[in-house]
Amino acid sequence: MTLLYRAIVLFILLLTVRCQFRERDFWRQATAALVVVPLLLRLLMIK
Amino acid sequence: MDWFWPEGFYTIVMVGGFVFGAFALKLPIAVALSAAAVLGALVGGEWFPVRHIVEGMFGYLDTILIIATAMIFMKSVQRSGLLESLAAWVIRKFRRAPLMLSLGLIFIIMAPGMITGSSTAAVLTTGALVAPVLMKLGVDRIRTAAVIAMGAIYGMIAPPVNIPAMIIGGGIDMPYVGFALPLLVCTVPLAVFTALVLVYPSLKRRAGDEEELEEELRRMEATPLSVRLMLPVLLMAVLMTGEQLLPSVWPALGMPVIFLLASLSALVSGGRRFDFLDSSTEALDDAIPVLGILMGVGMFIQIMTLIGVQGFLVVSVLALPAWLMYLGIATSIPLFGAVSAFGAASVLGVPFLLALLGRNEIMVGSALSLIAGLGDLMPPTALAGIFAAQVVGEENYFKVLRVCSLHGVATAAWGIFVIAYANEIMGLLP
Amino acid sequence: MRIKGTPFTAIVLLLAAAGLAAIAGASFMAMWNDDLFVPAPGFEKKMLSDWFDGLSGSPADTPVYIQDGEAPGGTVLILGGTHPTEPASMVTATLFLERARVDRGRLIVIPQANLLGFTHNSPQEAHPQSISFATEDGGRRVFRYGSRLTNPIYEWPAPDIYIHPASGQQLPGKERGNINRCYPGIPDGSVTEQAAYAITELIKRERVDLSIDLHEASPEYPVVNAIVAHERSMELAAMTTMDLEMAGIPMRLEPSPKNLRGLTHREWGDYTDTMPVLMEAGNPVQGRLRGRTDERLALTGEDKAYVKAAALGRLYIPYDGDQRIEYRVGRHTASIMAFLENLELLFPDRGVRLEGIPTFDELQEKGVGAFLNPLKM
Repeated sequence: MTLLYRAIVLFILLLTVRCQFRERDFWRQATAALVVVPLLLRLLMIK
Repeated sequence: MDWFWPEGFYTIVMVGGFVFGAFALKLPIAVALSAAAVLGALVGGEWFPVRHIVEGMFGYLDTILIIATAMIFMKSVQRSGLLESLAAWVIRKFRRAPLMLSLGLIFIIMAPGMITGSSTAAVLTTGALVAPVLMKLGVDRIRTAAVIAMGAIYGMIAPPVNIPAMIIGGGIDMPYVGFALPLLVCTVPLAVFTALVLVYPSLKRRAGDEEELEEELRRMEATPLSVRLMLPVLLMAVLMTGEQLLPSVWPALGMPVIFLLASLSALVSGGRRFDFLDSSTEALDDAIPVLGILMGVGMFIQIMTLIGVQGFLVVSVLALPAWLMYLGIATSIPLFGAVSAFGAASVLGVPFLLALLGRNEIMVGSALSLIAGLGDLMPPTALAGIFAAQVVGEENYFKVLRVCSLHGVATAAWGIFVIAYANEIMGLLP
Repeated sequence: MRIKGTPFTAIVLLLAAAGLAAIAGASFMAMWNDDLFVPAPGFEKKMLSDWFDGLSGSPADTPVYIQDGEAPGGTVLILGGTHPTEPASMVTATLFLERARVDRGRLIVIPQANLLGFTHNSPQEAHPQSISFATEDGGRRVFRYGSRLTNPIYEWPAPDIYIHPASGQQLPGKERGNINRCYPGIPDGSVTEQAAYAITELIKRERVDLSIDLHEASPEYPVVNAIVAHERSMELAAMTTMDLEMAGIPMRLEPSPKNLRGLTHREWGDYTDTMPVLMEAGNPVQGRLRGRTDERLALTGEDKAYVKAAALGRLYIPYDGDQRIEYRVGRHTASIMAFLENLELLFPDRGVRLEGIPTFDELQEKGVGAFLNPLKM
């Protein structure tokens, strides 16, 4: 189950980054960057 | 002055920093909240505490997974054609019974919230299903969003699953047992009130335009409704209720997995074809501002706690004279809910329950959880309001909140009434 | 304030996010290192998995220390670190581990019952990562200050609702990581439920006579400065409470509620033959009314928000400006010693006698650090 949830985190993380690169507003890109931080740390099972 | 300094000053700096960033600089709310958190840490003498700033975000990690996957689910059923087709069916079937339809629809909005304990889940699932029905039947867009937001909050508070009540009870080691009737007392009258005020008049008024409606219905039925097309909704309902009703044998999948499975099933439900990756990206694009707000709120709370603002606020509220206590409950809990309904339940709900010991604790805890639920209407997070606005395609969610405000006040007033007469109401219950 | 976003700015922001994650990640990972203990001579170190195989190799497998006295007698368990946010618990257990000389019977000490709670802090609590004490040789002893719950990287995803297996009781899902809601535990459950199961097994197999679970509670919570006792331990706890009152240590005595499940004072009593008791000291750093949150607050309990709350009559402990760790550990230490005395009085063949434990007054005078062993002997 944990692996499945890590896969979901990875999926959401990739979608977030994809949106970030499509976005044309800097601050909305920054909002996406905020979301990346915890997703990355949980994907790596650090926190 | 002693009590105010320096924590009161920090409060002003943090709240002021947020307001300045969000309204003067017009930064996105997520960025303004993060900046206010960093500012608070600097002023509070903690410099730039990276560990605290990142740790705060983790309070909402599970929430962002639920929101992101629920959003993906909504986009999937929208694109497969199910949403419109199902709405058309409901309209044809129940158009002639407006009272039953009003009450039935609000119950449908509430159902996922009752089962999952999450207002977001309710807004983005059955809320999205009900929205086109209401709008086609003449309820205007903003009112539709308001009904969905209120229904979702009542669903979150209604039994069997009410997470704020569990949090409040847990704070005084009160088991979550015997809450079903008190929570129904808290929510059912309000849900009926909302349905009668916001939905019923429009449905009843709706007469003429039969031809136009018929045309519209035929367009909506372009993808014919079938059991197979319903697959995503049926699958979601089975998985959610199974987990709730048969916990010992049913695998605990959790909401993100349920939403993703239901979304994927839309691909094989025989409806319109769509690109799953594309619809998921669109879902995330819609969700990111809210996910970001939650991250900002997480940082904000952690820094508030770190530099002593939390204790300052909580004890200031508890210091209110007795006659102001009820007003304090009715305002401070929803206001704190601006950061999160669950956070308000924990930080303020528990101290208030302790302050009210002696009255029936289950009734008081239920009513406090109801008031905490209002936090989901409070900007900047206003999860229920924001998503309800998105569901009906309204850009400015403040318009939705304005319509909700009457119902919010009614909710707080009912909550206070239940607290004031907790023992008497409990005595009337079987 | 509009700024145009480009793929370049996206890359810059992504790198910034990764940098932030890396700095925070290093800080989080620093909490994965075990704390060091210096047991008194005579203690034998075992692991909890010795009582339940399923736990061997698991990160939740926590050290268990056992010392046998010369004379035969009973067996007493001191459990610390059930909730790492309640530091007087772990510190009291550590004092017994580092000072005790057992003359009669057998002493079992588990300083960190939920080891995985010590490896992280709870989000939005802003708790310190560690607390430290100056020892008499001028060195410092550092201990982690963790979270009430098991680290989510071992308990994730949490269910929406945690259903206590033995009773069907419903709690918020995250409580599955609270070892004191998981007892008696199940062998094939989550890592926290397994640790709870192993502790229950230990109590059964070692025929522990008296099991003491050490806690702290927030000052605004009614069950504080209190002993919670199972029916079987009630007589012993009542005698102990009276002794403590006479020694000037006010103590409440609460019966273990029958419908509150998963806790030590209920399940140890119902599922084993031991006499379980749980003790609470008053600790502002875990309270909801607390102001600035840091190591100082954890050690001194000095908080102006609690001063105001006390003036408002909101607290269940006498509070005149502080609640020092020496005081909280002193309460626990004196209570345990009183329990041992009364155990021998009530059950002469099951007594346990120890020496080397500082008195309440000695702790107030010299502080906790004076009674911890230096790291390099």
